[in-house]
This record gives sequence, C-alpha cells and structure tokens, in this order.
Amino acid sequence: MNIIETKNLTKFYGKIRGIEDLTLTVKKGEIFGFLGPNGAGKTTTIRTLLGLLKPTSGEAFILNKNIENNIVEIRANVGYIPGELALYEHLTGKQFLDYFSSLRDTNLSLLEGLLETFELPLNRKIKGYSRGMKQKMGIIQAFMDDPPLVIMDEPTSGLDPLLQQKFYEFLHSEKKKGRTMFFSSHILSEVDKICDRVAIIRDGRLITLENIDTLKKKSGKIIKLKIKENPSKFKGAKNMKIKEGWIEFVTSDNINHWIKEISKFTVLDLKIIDFSLEDIFIRYYEEEF
Amino acid sequence: MDDFDINKILRLRIAFQTIKDYWKITIIITILFVGITTLYSAMFPAFKDMLTEMMESGFAEGFSFLRGIEDMGSYVGFLNMELYQIFWIMILGIILGFLSGAVIAKEIEGKTIDLLMSNPVSKKQIIFEKFIGLIPMVLIVNFGTMFAVFGITIAINEELNFGNVFLTHITSIPYFLSIIAIGILVSVVINEKMKAGIIMVAIIVSMYIFESLGNMVPNYEAMGVISITHYYNPYDTLKFGEIDAVGMIVLSVIIVWSLIIAMLYFENKDITI
Repeated sequence: MNIIETKNLTKFYGKIRGIEDLTLTVKKGEIFGFLGPNGAGKTTTIRTLLGLLKPTSGEAFILNKNIENNIVEIRANVGYIPGELALYEHLTGKQFLDYFSSLRDTNLSLLEGLLETFELPLNRKIKGYSRGMKQKMGIIQAFMDDPPLVIMDEPTSGLDPLLQQKFYEFLHSEKKKGRTMFFSSHILSEVDKICDRVAIIRDGRLITLENIDTLKKKSGKIIKLKIKENPSKFKGAKNMKIKEGWIEFVTSDNINHWIKEISKFTVLDLKIIDFSLEDIFIRYYEEEF
Repeated sequence: MDDFDINKILRLRIAFQTIKDYWKITIIITILFVGITTLYSAMFPAFKDMLTEMMESGFAEGFSFLRGIEDMGSYVGFLNMELYQIFWIMILGIILGFLSGAVIAKEIEGKTIDLLMSNPVSKKQIIFEKFIGLIPMVLIVNFGTMFAVFGITIAINEELNFGNVFLTHITSIPYFLSIIAIGILVSVVINEKMKAGIIMVAIIVSMYIFESLGNMVPNYEAMGVISITHYYNPYDTLKFGEIDAVGMIVLSVIIVWSLIIAMLYFENKDITI
C-alpha cells in the first residue's frame, strides 16, 4: 500500500521552479529519505503535500486521499515537523500541548511516553526554551496522537549529537510499530543510518529513487593507489583523477581486472573503499553520472 | 476546497486560544478607555460655560463635518464630540484595525501557521475562528466604556439618557466588527503583521477623511458612502435614540463579505515562509 503517491507534482513560484514533475511513492511502514541540498525543493514538496502550497500541476495522494479535496482529513492522520519550526512562544509547553491536543481532538496515546523520552520543562514558556528543547516539542507534537504517517523536514537540526542518537533510535522503534515516516535531510550519514529508501532531488527534480543498499552497490567502489612510477602512466577508468600523487577512480565491477592492471606497477599504497552515500551524493550533484 | 465541518468549527478551539492570546491587550485597552472616559467626562463641568460661549460665537460652523458639534455645549454633545467621535470611532477603530490586521499575518510571518495547519483545520475555519476570537475584545472594551460613562455621569451629576447610551454601544458593535472583518481580510493578503496593521490604520484614517470631506464639501456628500463611519452615527443615537437601521445592514453586509472574500483568498493563497 502506498502511503504517499505523487504524480508529476509541480510547483512554480511565478517563473521560479520549486519542484517539477515529481513522481514518487512512499510505501507503508518505511522510512523514506528525501535527500537534497538546501534549496533543492525538499520543503516545497513537503509544504505542497500538506496543502500549504497549491500545486501548479500534477497531483498527490496521501493515505489514498487526494490532497486537493481531502486535506483536512489528511491532516488528521499526518504528523508534521516543519523545517523552520515555529512554536507559540508566549505559551508554556503545557499550554501549547493543551491547545494542540484540543485541535487534534483525538486520544493522545503516545504523549506520556514521548514526554519520558524527550524531557521538557512543561511549565516554562516556550520563549525560554533552547533550540533543542523546541525541536523536541516539534517531535512530541508530531507523534503524540499516533498518526500513521509522520512527515519530517530536517528534524535533527538543532539537536545535539546525543539527542540525535536518541531520535534515530526512536525512529527505529517507531518503524517497528509500522509507522511510515518521510524524512527530509541534507545530511547523508543520517539518511544512510535510518532510511530504507532514498529519493535524491536536485533543482526541484527527482534524480534517483532507490533502496539505499542498491544505490550503494550500483555505485561500486573507489580505488585509490600510489605508485612508484609516474602516476600519469597508469591507465585507470575514464573517471580517473590524480590528486597529490594518489590515483583515484571509481569502478562498478571487475575488481579482478584492476588488480591485474595495478600489479604491473610498483604499488606504494592501495585502498579499495566502499562508496558511502556521501560520495554518491557528491557525484549526483556534480553530474558525473 | 477544504471542508467546512461545522461540528469541528463549533468547538471553536482556535477562537478560544485567540481570546486567551488577546486577553491582556483587551484589559489594557479597556482600562485605557475607561480612563479616557473618566478624564473627559469629569472635565465637562469645568468647560461647560466656555463651551456654551464658543458655540454661541459660531465656532462650530468651521467644523461642520463633525457630526453634532453644534451641540457641544450640552453634556451629551460634549460626550459625543470628545469621547465618541474622536476616541470611540477614530482611535478605538484604529486600535482594533491595527490588531485585527495582524491577526493572521503574525501567524504567517512568525511561521506558526505551518504547525497550526498541521492540525485537522481548514483555512476557512481559521478565518472564521479568528474573527469569533476577536469579538470578546470588542464587547469588553465597549461595555467597559459604557459603564464608565454611566458611573462618571452619576458622579458629576449630569443629565444623560442611559438607555440611549446603551443603544449607542449596542449599535457600535457592527461598526467595530466590520473593522475587524476588514482587518482580517487585509491580514490574509499582507504577510507581515506590522505592514498589515499599518495598512489597516491607513484604511481607517482615509475612510474617516473621506467621510469628513463628504460632510464638509457641498455636493460631495456621496464621497462618504465608501467609509464605514458613514454608517454609524453615535450622535443621533446618543441624543435622540435614533438607530440607523440601513447603516447597520450595510455594516453587516460588509462584515459578511469581508470574511467571505478573506476565506476565498486565503483558500487559494500559497503560504510561503
């Protein structure tokens, strides 16, 4: 079952492209990574899905309901952590939660547990909260009424490393419960760590959508070596570069062939490295693929 | 189109929160107006003779655009001029306009709109509930001032028809609500709260000027019809107990249409942050 489905979803701000022809599906129970640098269209996609922006063309379905005419019903079943999280600063944490629970008008079955995991000084005004505390409040309000889908726009910004770790663990446990999560980020390592599939967008367009493991396999290995002879004598793959005496190139298959090639030289040092998502990301962005 | 689920709206959660948010400012404005009322009314006995003289000297003719100025020598005329025409219609109008102009704009500018709209609420509902949420402010300031007028009148022992005063305050409700409705309309169009508030103040001041010019310049009376102040005359109610029924209907139509246009506009608006 698809939890989110977009078909050629397009949003232009006048002549400026926000997103164009975005077609993707998010399946039930997965953590879907939505990766792209700042300004790639991640927030535009999310805010269009939630009815804050009107799509220029194309359509989108959340929980099998068209966002055009069922947005209020959709909102009742979707938790959301905005990228630029702004809370009602004049309220205390408790007043804020009271207000939002009255708006949700449903059983907040997870609230207590969340408050144990992400401790907050509820009697203090939100104005006095640190950035991390505010972000915790953002997390709590998104999950508290146990929605089947949570959309998060760069949710780890503002969290210290310890809290980030806690949050990743929390997401894993939520995934086990079957919750679907849409996770936008520009930080590759975290997407690598927690997501099942990842969509990479650039300039408002979807570049690739793959399982993280497939993506890594497809992208092959990086071979780095230093030889005694002049590095330019070595004939590596097309993408070969020479940097500070290191010969560097990427190969997706046939390691054996390269070992044989390398053995023709006097090898001073050799590294064969698995592609990290970071490398894939950089390559996509440099348009080398 | 968003759905307009009447059962959800009737719970008025956003409206209640708006009332709470504006509670302090409501009290402050009420105290301000009670203070002004007390101050001005209490001054009347001291000014009485001077005012009568001024009126006899034809002073009022130059200010004929101010309704009821010729009667300024009497207590009811004085109240009308000093309190109702200036502080009530103009200053309170400006304050309410400024506040209502910011009511949606501040959620957009402050980016809290994203979280608000992550709840199962529609844009129409937000407009409607924000309007409802500002009504208590109008009522509290309104009747707070009325009781201040009653109290001070008794204290200085002047003659005043309390029934007419009550009627004046009751009939001012559509006038102030129309300001709030127009303010909300401005608030959904302009994304910055300060700008929206200031534009709203400019609108009210210009309407006041148009109405005054219309009253002052012969053959240009029609100019006043674009001003909401044209449809509410505290003097006629205060002095004679007359109610401008047509005016009240016009104001009600303005309220309804401002809100409908605000809803339609907001519905189709991109909320960019």
